Formats: sequence, C-alpha cells, structure tokens
Amino acid sequence: MNASSQSTRRSWIVLGVVTLAWLAAYFAARWLLKHAEMETWLRVCVALFPLPFFGAFLWMFISGVRSMDELQRKIQLEALAIAFPLAVLLLMTLGLLQRAVDLPFEDWSYAHVWMYLPLFYFGGVAIASRRYQ
Amino acid sequence: MKNRLKVLRAERDWSQAELAERLEVSRQTVNAVETGKYEPSLSLAFRIARLFGQRIEEIFQLDSESSS
Repeated sequence: MNASSQSTRRSWIVLGVVTLAWLAAYFAARWLLKHAEMETWLRVCVALFPLPFFGAFLWMFISGVRSMDELQRKIQLEALAIAFPLAVLLLMTLGLLQRAVDLPFEDWSYAHVWMYLPLFYFGGVAIASRRYQ
Repeated sequence: MKNRLKVLRAERDWSQAELAERLEVSRQTVNAVETGKYEPSLSLAFRIARLFGQRIEEIFQLDSESSS
C-alpha cells in the first residue's frame, strides 16, 4: 500500500469516526428532547448541538471526495444524481399524502424520513459503481 | 474507444494494482479504462502515455479508426 492510499484510508477512517460522533450527538439530542424537562432556550441549544458534528462530517466528506480520482468522483456524481431526485420525490409525495390523508407522525414525519436519504445515496453509489466494474 | 492498456501492462508484467499505484488512481479506474467502460480524461490519458513512453493515439483509438 503506497503513501497516497494509506492517507486515503486514514481519511475514510476519520470520516467514519466523525460520522459516528455526529449520529451519537443527534440521537443524544433526540433522546434529551424527548425525555428531559428543560427550558425552551436549552431545548433549542440541545436541538442545535449536533450541528458542529455535522459540519465536521461535511468537511471530511468533501475532503474525501476531493481526494478521489476522476472515476470515483464520477461515481459520486452519478450516485447523487440518483439520490437527489429520489429524495425530492419522497418529500413531495409525502407532502401530498399528508394533505390527502393523516399520515402517522411517528412513521412519516420529516424527523424520521431523513433516514431514507442515506439509503438513496448508498443505493446510488452501488448502482453507479456497478456500471464501471 | 479502444485501448492497448491491458497489453502494455501485461508486457511489463504489472498488476492492475501496480499500474494504479504508478498512475495514482484506484484499481477500479484502471480496470474500467482497460475494459472500455470508462474513457479517461485527457490528463489521465497523457499520464498513461508518458508512463508507457508512447503517444496517446498509439494507446487509445476511436472505434471508427480501429475498424478502418
């Protein structure tokens, strides 16, 4: 393994750690908002608590994409070209369905449906990667 | 577009991973170029040509050129 691929590997490990920290911060904030009694200003602070972690994740992710070679970047672009319209389609459809019927909040609120977006992205990466194998 | 990358690599007894390392790209990229699933940028094509000491058109050919 050369120095470049070692560096790339290290970057992806750091990205994984930052992602876990972000998710931990998100679920901790969610848990606190649901179970702890707090004043409004503190609830807002807790709700915003995961943002710096997300900022670190975004920074690492963009750095990771910039360090990719041209084919890997093309795969990322194609993955996002699949994931983004799917995300828009999901949100628009849910918006219409909410007007049509009462969707259960616990299942279909935007507080929950974000979990589908990474699935769209990873699905897009899998589909795009397959084209070049 | 067709290319002679696989032949040139085999002549030097390099693996795809070795070639990828020399070109500073991923092995997936080398494989995709070799199999014609991905057409490299001009910059990468120049790097490939320099690495093998040949001109770009000696390595890469349009399908219409190779059939005529």
